[in-house]
Amino acid sequence: MEIGRGSSTTALSPQITEKDQVLLLAKDIVKKFPGVVAVNHVTYDLKAGEIHGLLGQNGAGKSTLLKVLYGIHRPDHGELYVYGRKVFFKSPRDAREHGIILVHQEVTLMPHLTALENIALLGFMWRKWGARFKKTKFKLYIEDILSKFGIELDLDAKVRDLSVAEKMLVQVATALSMDARILLLDEPTSPMSPKEVERLFDAMKRLKARNLGIAFVTHRVNEALEICDRITVLRNGFKVGTVESRNIDAHELVKMMLGREASEVYMVRDFSDIDKVLARTREEVPLIELRNIVTKPQSPVEVPLKNVSVKVYRGEIVAVFGLVGAGKTELGKTLIGLTKVVSGEIRYMERRVKIKSPADALRLGIMYLPEDRRSEGLIPGFTVVANMDISSLKEYTKWFMVIDRRKEEAAGNDMVKKLNIVTPSLYVKVPKLSGGNQQKVLVARAMLTKARLVIFDEPTIGIDVGAKAEIRRLIYRYSREQGVSVLLLTSEVDEALGLADRIYVMRDGRILGEFINKNLDRDTVLKVLVYGK
Amino acid sequence: MGSEEPRTNFLRKFVEFYQTHEIAKPLIPLLLLIAASVALAPHYFLAPMNIKVILMQTTPLALIATGEMLAILMAGIDLSVGSTQAATAMLAAIITKSTGNLGLAVAVAIALGTLVGAINGTLVTKLKIYSFVATLAGLVIWRSFVIIVSGGRLIYGLSEYSVFLNDYGTYIPMGFLLALAVIIGVYLLMTKTTFGRYIYGIGSNEEAVRLAGVRADLVKFLAFTLAGALYGLGGVMLIAMGGFAVDPWSAQGNELNAIASCVIGGIALTGGTGHPLGPLLGAAILTILTNILVLLGVTELATQQIFVGIVLIAAAASLTRGLRYVK
Ligand SMILES: Nc1ncnc2c1ncn2[C@@H]1O[C@H](COP(=O)(O)OP(=O)(O)O)[C@@H](O)[C@H]1O
Ligand SMILES: [Mg+2]
Repeated sequence: MEIGRGSSTTALSPQITEKDQVLLLAKDIVKKFPGVVAVNHVTYDLKAGEIHGLLGQNGAGKSTLLKVLYGIHRPDHGELYVYGRKVFFKSPRDAREHGIILVHQEVTLMPHLTALENIALLGFMWRKWGARFKKTKFKLYIEDILSKFGIELDLDAKVRDLSVAEKMLVQVATALSMDARILLLDEPTSPMSPKEVERLFDAMKRLKARNLGIAFVTHRVNEALEICDRITVLRNGFKVGTVESRNIDAHELVKMMLGREASEVYMVRDFSDIDKVLARTREEVPLIELRNIVTKPQSPVEVPLKNVSVKVYRGEIVAVFGLVGAGKTELGKTLIGLTKVVSGEIRYMERRVKIKSPADALRLGIMYLPEDRRSEGLIPGFTVVANMDISSLKEYTKWFMVIDRRKEEAAGNDMVKKLNIVTPSLYVKVPKLSGGNQQKVLVARAMLTKARLVIFDEPTIGIDVGAKAEIRRLIYRYSREQGVSVLLLTSEVDEALGLADRIYVMRDGRILGEFINKNLDRDTVLKVLVYGK
Repeated sequence: MGSEEPRTNFLRKFVEFYQTHEIAKPLIPLLLLIAASVALAPHYFLAPMNIKVILMQTTPLALIATGEMLAILMAGIDLSVGSTQAATAMLAAIITKSTGNLGLAVAVAIALGTLVGAINGTLVTKLKIYSFVATLAGLVIWRSFVIIVSGGRLIYGLSEYSVFLNDYGTYIPMGFLLALAVIIGVYLLMTKTTFGRYIYGIGSNEEAVRLAGVRADLVKFLAFTLAGALYGLGGVMLIAMGGFAVDPWSAQGNELNAIASCVIGGIALTGGTGHPLGPLLGAAILTILTNILVLLGVTELATQQIFVGIVLIAAAASLTRGLRYVK
């Protein structure tokens, strides 16, 4: 049996690729999901010997675009060209046959097998069922490839014992063993330490020198600047632009990433009442206070908090602004007992409290609405109304545990009216609703609890512009009318500026600055985010 | 053309009923099975004595299947069913023999079942052992318990349990009515109370339910405990419906019958969906299927099991229709 190229793979990829030859062109791609256009008329190309970054916030559409390029999603509109030839991918199999390999955000390897076995089975042995596994021969073959690209790997190690970066390199080696010419890397660096990132970047540079094209997805501005030749910035599914890395700096890139929303979309507050609210920060004790919190991450993707101190007063809207990976979610989850706090304290009305679970937090009147609606927020098997009152179900009982359907329905109808939720009825299953309306259901969940502090983690991500404005207005009105404190965790500077009384800026698990949102200049906030002080 | 209309209309209504009512998943096959049975062997199948036998055989299975449902609805599983049922039956038998007090025996049996369920619940919630593994351990441990306390001997002649077979001329045994009442109680618990709501929620998206501030561990613990109590009652019925005798290996493999009843009853193993009366109907389907096979002369257990397996496959496939893949 012939190894590698030769038999079935990459029939269409020419043997030699010249530098700057366009390997891949995606033209005017549109991909819609229910309630959101994930990729909206985006054109993206990849040349040989180039690393072309895809930069954007969570939900910008980066992963979706890569999945279109790899045949996982079929685009609703647009065309794909490989080596100038128009192609239609029905599945990743088709993409692989054209020499395109996607390395997933989540590592997709078989942990109990060795690196060699993984590379062989997922790579050049792919689809060769029943072929013999010739260990020595395979090993020589792969070692040869690895040395050609200058990648160091222990091929006999079990994958589960490898570091995150090494696992990523195994996936890259898998692609190389199939003679892939186009690598799609989806946020490979998110779970890596800086040292590991360097190692991956070294490997990427060598691949580039051998004329491979690499699409590199990241949400980290500095990484994009360091490794990419060109960077395409996505935002809310739209392409903001493509720039040469040497012609741009971090500040400009951050601005592109964040974009600028029309002020009617984000400016939902007026400033007439801000002095009254801020006066409480002088006259009252904080409702909730984090003092010098340090946490220990429980997984490689969790960001450790480093000496975080934050205060929220009664009826105040406080925003914590930072990009993905700043530790905002971890800050929010600390308040509901889901991080491991190694030092520092949480105070509730000056009284030191231990919060061990979301149920504990709710008893104190603290409610957290997660960023990841689909996996952590909504209960897909539940109806709209059951999703709304899951946190306050005890209020809707007649005696002991018996649910009072009439009371429940009345509360549900009230919320539908107040929040203007578009749904055929209270009793349809919640996945039937659009993204924006699903988010409103979660907002309703918080409102029904009569919580004193509601933590909104990226409440407007992945929903359309109209719904964004609506939800921001709802949050503002809700806080002002009910006197509820809001902790808004956001990666959109405009959202923070348009909604908050005070703003903390966060990066790498640290609070970098605190602002009172009065005559506050957008650029001042951004500069703190980019340059520290 | 004109005569086609009402018919397609009826068909559409039927499909709609099937799609919107979870109870339809087992109810329609049950009715079809009954109709087929009546057609195939009208005189035997509809004989009052045969109906009584079917109800008797359904009783213990329906109880344990309803207990199993609680675990499966939370996307868990309980493999300790058969052994727990045997343990409670054996203990009840011993107490009946030594004291002659049926009430005490029944109470102790249910208490033991509850204890086993509480242990399962504790293992899952406190030690965070997968329910599959925790209850697999229970399966072996409680079987050993039975063998030890019984000394490996059969206990028979427990005629006190005939009260559960009394039918006062209706051919509906009291034991069945008791089980039915309990199962309806569970149905009300699952559909009308916060507890039931939380169980369905845990099966649908446990992470979300936890983040919503629900004490999911408490709910899980209580659900496993309640399941254990049902196995205890199932153990008592095992004596009553099984010839007033318990041997150390009785109820062996019943966890599989319970799971099969759930699946046939429309309780998806992925959790979160299914009608709480489904396992009762599933148990009835399994029982009637065996019954009609016997009436048709298929008396060999192995052959019967093949039919059961085929029905199980059909039921399971209908539950997972529309999913992209399963494990
Ligand atoms: N399979 C899917 N079904 C529905 N919506 C999806 C799906 N995948 C992604 N989305 C939505 O599409 C948008 C873009 O998501 P994604 O491409 O994952 O963003 P990124 O990778 O830039 O963070 C988000 O709003 C997300 O919620
Ligand atoms: Mg992504």
